[in-house]
Amino acid sequence: MNSDTVLAVSNLSITFGGEREFVAVRELTFGVGKGKTLAIVGESGSGKSLTALSLMGLLPPGAAVKGDIILHTHDKALTLTALKTNSDWQPVRGAKAGMVFQEPMSSLNPVMRIGKQLAECIRAHQQVSGDEAKKLALHWLQQVQLPQPEKLYERYPHELSGGQKQRVMIAMAMCNHPVLLIADEPTTALDVTVQQEVVRLMQYLQQQHNTALIFITHDLALAATIADDVLVMYKGEAVEYGTAAEVLRSPKHPYTQALVACKPSPEQKGLKLPTVSDFLDADRSKAAAGVSAPVTTTVGVDAEHILEVSNLKVWFAEEKNWLGKPTSYFKAVDGVSFHLRKGEVLGLVGESGCGKSTVSRALIGLLPVHEGEIRYNGENLAALPHKEWPRIRRDIQMIFQDPFASLNPRMTVGDMLMESMRVHRIVADSGLKTEACRLLDIVHLPADALKRYPHQFSGGQRQRIGIARALALKPKLIICDESVSALDVSVQAQILNLLKELQHEFQLSYLFISHDLSVVHYISDRVMVMQSGKIVECGEAEQVLKRPENAYTRRLVAAIPEMK
Amino acid sequence: MFGFLVKRLRYSLLVLAGVVTVVFFLFNVLPGDPARLTMGQRSDKATVENARREMNLDKPLLTRYVLFLNDLSPIGWHGGDSATRQKYGYIALLPAGEQCLALKWPYMGRSYYTKRNVADVLGEALPGTIILALSAMLIATFFGILLGIVAALKKGTWMDTSAIAASVAGISMPSFFAGLVIAYVFGYLLHSVTGLNMTGSLWDYDPFTGRHLAIRNLILPAVALGIRPLAIITQLTRSSVLDVLSQDYIRTAYAKGLTTGQVIFRHALPNALNPVVTAISGWLAELLAGSFFVEYIFGYKGVGKITVDALDKFDFPLVMGSVLLTAFIFIIVNLLTDMLYSFLDPRVKFR
Repeated sequence: MNSDTVLAVSNLSITFGGEREFVAVRELTFGVGKGKTLAIVGESGSGKSLTALSLMGLLPPGAAVKGDIILHTHDKALTLTALKTNSDWQPVRGAKAGMVFQEPMSSLNPVMRIGKQLAECIRAHQQVSGDEAKKLALHWLQQVQLPQPEKLYERYPHELSGGQKQRVMIAMAMCNHPVLLIADEPTTALDVTVQQEVVRLMQYLQQQHNTALIFITHDLALAATIADDVLVMYKGEAVEYGTAAEVLRSPKHPYTQALVACKPSPEQKGLKLPTVSDFLDADRSKAAAGVSAPVTTTVGVDAEHILEVSNLKVWFAEEKNWLGKPTSYFKAVDGVSFHLRKGEVLGLVGESGCGKSTVSRALIGLLPVHEGEIRYNGENLAALPHKEWPRIRRDIQMIFQDPFASLNPRMTVGDMLMESMRVHRIVADSGLKTEACRLLDIVHLPADALKRYPHQFSGGQRQRIGIARALALKPKLIICDESVSALDVSVQAQILNLLKELQHEFQLSYLFISHDLSVVHYISDRVMVMQSGKIVECGEAEQVLKRPENAYTRRLVAAIPEMK
Repeated sequence: MFGFLVKRLRYSLLVLAGVVTVVFFLFNVLPGDPARLTMGQRSDKATVENARREMNLDKPLLTRYVLFLNDLSPIGWHGGDSATRQKYGYIALLPAGEQCLALKWPYMGRSYYTKRNVADVLGEALPGTIILALSAMLIATFFGILLGIVAALKKGTWMDTSAIAASVAGISMPSFFAGLVIAYVFGYLLHSVTGLNMTGSLWDYDPFTGRHLAIRNLILPAVALGIRPLAIITQLTRSSVLDVLSQDYIRTAYAKGLTTGQVIFRHALPNALNPVVTAISGWLAELLAGSFFVEYIFGYKGVGKITVDALDKFDFPLVMGSVLLTAFIFIIVNLLTDMLYSFLDPRVKFR
C-alpha cells in the first residue's frame, strides 16, 4: 500500500439479515489514491450503490457490513467500519468524504433556499460565523461555475435545472475539502450535453483539490472516459478490477465482455445485438454467432406513407385573461412536419424538454392539437371526432418509458392483456385466454405469467408485458417513448432485439423516441433531431449521426462518451 | 401576491353568493309560518297579517330575494326614515331623496322570540366559540404534532404502538361522547380535586360582581373538543414524518454530516408539516362554526349552543344567520390556509 492511498477497502461484504440472509455485496477489495478516479460499473442490483453508501455509513437499516474500510485523511487513518451511530459518522460525512447522488431533483430539500443548504454544510464542519459561511458558500457556487451566485443563493431547488442542482450538490460535497468524493450515478438523470459539462466540472475540481474520486455508473463508456481504474460488479461480486485501459480493451470476465458488446453501436446496425446471457451461457459459440443474421429489411424510398404530420403545433396556455381565454402560450411543439413510411423505424432524438414526448402524445390524441395536420392513412387525426378515436387507437399503440409505473399494480398480466382485446373485440371471449398466451409467447414470457401481478416481474420482463399489451390490438404503428431508457444495457439489448424481431414478423412501423443517440442510431432507418419544439435536422440515420449538419446535432453527437 | 389575493377573494365571493342563494331558497320552502311563529299561537288574524306585511312575506319570492340580498350586503339601499335607521343601525353614505346608500353590519333579521338583531346575538356568542375553538386546536396541534413526531422517530417501539392505539381510540370517539365522559369524570366525580364545574360559560354572571371571565370553564370543553383533531393530527404527522424521512434529501442531509437533531428539525419537519397544516385549518374552520354538541353538553355559551336552541324553537332567522356565519368562517379560513401554504412551501406559487 503506498502513501498516496486515500481509501482502502478489503473484504467488504454487505448482508441483509432476516429469515433468509441475503448477501448484496460479497468480499469486495479495492482502493483509490490521491487525485485518482475509480469507476465502479455494474447494472442495477449489482450492489454498486450499496458499496458507495457503505463508505458513508448511509446503508438502509438492517444491512450488516463486514470487512475493513480505511480512510486515510491528512493526518490519520480512520477505520470507517468501526463507526456505528450518526454522531460517530458525523465528523466524516461531508468533511472527510463528500457524496453526490443520482437524483438531483429529489436530493435537495425543496423548502430550503439553496444558499442556506450549502452554508449549513459549511457550518457543520468549519468554525465560521454566519456571514463567513455565506461568503464561502458564494465562493463555492462560483467554483461549480453557476451563473450569478448571489441570486442563486436565494433560490429554491425547484427554480433550478437538473444540471444546476447537480452542481449545487457537487459544491456541497466539496465545500469542506474532503479527501474522497463519491459520486453515485451523478449524471444518469441528466441530458448527454449536461452530463459532459458536469463530468468535466468534477474532473476539474478533483485536480484542483487532489481529491480521490469514486464514480459509480452503469455506463461503461463513461467510465472509460474518466477513470484511472475500473471495478466491474455483477451480482454483488467484483468480476473485474484493473486499470481502465486493461479492463476495456481486453475484458477477461464474460460479463464485462458482454457489457462491452451489448451496448448498441452503429457498427452493429441491422444485426442482432448480443445479450449478457449469450456470454454467460455455457455454450459460448452462440456469443460469437450473436452478431449474425441481419434482422432488418431496408425500406424503399417509395414506400407508402403510413403517417404524415404537417406543421403540427401543440401549445399550452400560459396565462389566461378573466374570460379564461389564453393570452400567451408555451409552445411545446411548434410547427413540426415529418412522415413515416410503412415498415420503417423513425428515430426522434432530443434532450429533455424539447417536446418529443408531446409529439407522441398528440399523435395518439392524448393532447389537443393547436394547429396542423396528422394524417394517418390519409385520415386527419387532428380533426377527428371523439368517438372515432377508439378505432385509431387500435392501430396506433404506445410502449412507455417506465415499466414500473405504466402497469396497473392491482391487475394480473392476463387481465391487462385481455381487457384491451375485450374492449376492442379483437377475438371472441372464448378465445381471449389462448390469444393472451400467444402474446406472452411472442414476447418470450412463460404462459404462467398470465396469473401474476406486475410486481412479480423484473424491469425487463415488465417492459415485455408492455410490449405484449401494445401488440394485443394488432397495431400497425407503435410509438416507443423512451421504451428502453430505464433498462440496463444487457436488458436493453434484449428488448431492442425483440422490437426488431416483432417489426419483421408483423410488418410494424415504429416511431422511436429516445434521448440516447446510440440506441436510436442502432434501431432507426431515419432520424429526426428535435430542439425546443422544432425539428432541426432530419435524414438517414447514418447521415444525421455520422455527418451532422446542424450545430445542435453536432454538439449532441460530440457529447456521447466513447470507449477508446 | 396581490393578484393572488384578488383572485382568491373573487372566488370566495362567488362561493358566498352561492351559499346565500341556496340558504335563502331552502329556508323559504321550509314548512312553518314565520308570521305566526313571531306573534305566537294565540294572536288574532289581523296581527298576523300585519306581521306578514312587515316581514315582506306578502311579496313575491324574487322580490324577497333581492330585499334579502340588500339586507345582507354591508353597503345597501335603505329608507332614510328613523324607524328604518333604527332597524338596520346604518351610517348613511349618500342620501338620495327618501332612500339612501348606507353602510351597516349585514342584517339577518331579528329573532322570532327575543326580537333581538341576529347579528348582535351571534356577535355576542362568537368570541366564546372562537376562544374555545382556538384553545381546542392549540391543544390538538401541540400534542398531536409532538406525539406524531415521537411515534415516527421511535417507529416500532412501545411509544409508537401506544400512540397509534390511543389515536385510534380518539378518532373513534365522537365528541358528544367524549364530552359527556369528561364532564362526568372531571366535573362531577373528581370535582373536589379539579375544582372544575360540569357546565359553565367563558363569562360568568355573578349577582354581586357582575360579568367576569371564567377561564376554568374553558378547560373541559376545550379538551373534549380537541381529542379527535389531536388523534388525527398525531396519525397525520406520524405518516408524514415517516414519508419525509425516506426522502432523498434526508439522506443528503445526513451525508453532509449534520446531527440527527439538525436533520429532523431543519429538513424533515418543515417538509412534513404541510399536510398537517391543511388538516389543522380544516378542523379549525369546523370548530369555529360552533361545536354544537360540546357547547350544548357543557352549557357553554357559543354559536353552537345558540344554534341548537334556535333550531329547537324554529327560530329561523337565527338558524339562517348561523348557517351564513359558518359559511363565511369556512371561506375566510380557507383563504388564510392557502396563503399560509404558499408561505410554507415555496413550490406553491401565488397564482
